[in-house]
Amino acid sequence: MNNNYKIKIKSKANALQFRKSLVVLGSMVKKNIKNQYRRSVLGIFWTVLNPLLNMLVMWFVFDKIFGRTSSDLFYPVYILSGTITFNFMRGATTQSLPCMVYNYDLLTKTRVPYAVFPLSQNLSAMVNLGFSVIALIILMLACIPQGVQFHWTMLMMAVPWFPSLFLFSLGMSFALCSVYVRFRDIKHFYDVFLTLWMYATPIFYSLSSLKLGPTAGMIMKLNPMLYYVQYVRELLMGTVPSWQTHAICYGVGILSFLIGFTIFRLSRKKFILYI
Amino acid sequence: MMKKNKDKNTQTRVIFADTVGKQYADIDTMTDSRDDETLFDRDDSILVDVRGVSMKYRMPSEKIDSLKEYCIKLVQGKLHYKTFEALKEINLQVRRGESLALIGRNGAGKSTLLRIIAGIIEPTSGYVRTRGNMVPLLKLGAGFDYNATGKENVFLNGAMLGFSRKEMLKKYDSIVEFAELGDFMNVPLKNYSAGMMSKLGFAIAVDVNPDLLLIDEILSVGDAVFQKKCAKKIDELRANGTTFIVVSHSLGQINRLCQKAIYIKNGSIVDFGTAAEISAKYTADCAAAEKALEAVQKAQAELAEANKK
Repeated sequence: MNNNYKIKIKSKANALQFRKSLVVLGSMVKKNIKNQYRRSVLGIFWTVLNPLLNMLVMWFVFDKIFGRTSSDLFYPVYILSGTITFNFMRGATTQSLPCMVYNYDLLTKTRVPYAVFPLSQNLSAMVNLGFSVIALIILMLACIPQGVQFHWTMLMMAVPWFPSLFLFSLGMSFALCSVYVRFRDIKHFYDVFLTLWMYATPIFYSLSSLKLGPTAGMIMKLNPMLYYVQYVRELLMGTVPSWQTHAICYGVGILSFLIGFTIFRLSRKKFILYI
Repeated sequence: MMKKNKDKNTQTRVIFADTVGKQYADIDTMTDSRDDETLFDRDDSILVDVRGVSMKYRMPSEKIDSLKEYCIKLVQGKLHYKTFEALKEINLQVRRGESLALIGRNGAGKSTLLRIIAGIIEPTSGYVRTRGNMVPLLKLGAGFDYNATGKENVFLNGAMLGFSRKEMLKKYDSIVEFAELGDFMNVPLKNYSAGMMSKLGFAIAVDVNPDLLLIDEILSVGDAVFQKKCAKKIDELRANGTTFIVVSHSLGQINRLCQKAIYIKNGSIVDFGTAAEISAKYTADCAAAEKALEAVQKAQAELAEANKK
């Protein structure tokens, strides 16, 4: 009786809370995006310019200095598609990492559900990704004389591809921000780990151009980001990825989300103690 | 056992339990009906029902916040925890239209209790049920964004309190007028003075007309003129039937604002009565504590002098 009663009350309160959370979520995402480019002359245009400029640097270094590596796509498009995928994950997770601690005031003084903080960071990263895709389209338009083509499969970036990537990075964010509350030095580990991760992901090289032994090849294939990057490149080339790629992307995404969210749920009650 | 709450005319009911393990039996004998779960349902006038709430913290004896330190301490075997009981078996009910003050010394557990009622933290055991629109005001301007302008912050803070942009747009003018910050609304918050910021926070907070307002030490804001305005606004809210639960060290404020008070000491409710009664008792206790401290200091000084000789 006692338990049933509590559940009934909880679900009622949750419905009310849900509407409030959406309002908070919206305003937090808006705040994040605005703060990113506040007081810069070009403002929101930086979100489009930034990936383009980064791509130019990478293209210059890896194409002109180190010499061309073979790739299936036109090389600048190849780089840019890799960077925007990896940068979404990187941006979402590094921003989420300290979000519980930064929002100390809200956490201890108001009734905002905790999940709002990592979620809002991931949504902000999603908006940034949207601008990066605009940059990608601009680049592709500019490179049409070089033989770049648009395919209808690009539309699949919105639906089957992005949600799986979002789940993956959201799960990572939940886990990381929970651990950060307890152990602050995780940030330094994670920064180094991200650098390693970026080089281990074929962003500016292609996996087939590496001469890897069987063990090294196996290890490279354990990297989930590899599949998200490959997926988006296949779409840009006009092919629909195989069902295996879908299964891996969604499997990893859902698994990451479940693990991350469980860690988050379990450590949630203790946040207030360690912050 | 203190059974002041036996009197059915007392509106706020506080159920005491000095012995752990006996509380639930006590609840049954002390409430009007045997089935207390339904009492909260049946009686619409109960806004807050706190039942058997305990809060235990497991505190490391030293603050460890890095993995490196944690591992070192773990290897050295120096990882000790002690349990700290912030609240012990709190039972209380607050009815609509009446106001309750929580009185006690620092660290007695007042703010913890308020946060549990607000639903910000979950108690280790027991539960809290509330009815109606509750607004916790535990800090003015919690979640202000210092880079954004005052105007943007009104909407942001409103969202934190659960209001959409549309609803806040209706309130916006009266908030600005109340905060007296008309010329500053388009200035980033980091250029505000501390007083201006609290004024803005207070103006947003009181404009929401809640059923239940939880207040933690935030009533001493701004200059004398603004404080008078605040007091007037609070009275207005009270006249409209808002219920308050207040934590404050200003006994004058408590006596003006609340009819009832509970005295919390080391995590337990030790006394319950009218605000005047309890604040008098608290003052007496504080004076006694001060005297005791003085006596200890005197004894120590004497001892030191004796040692010198």
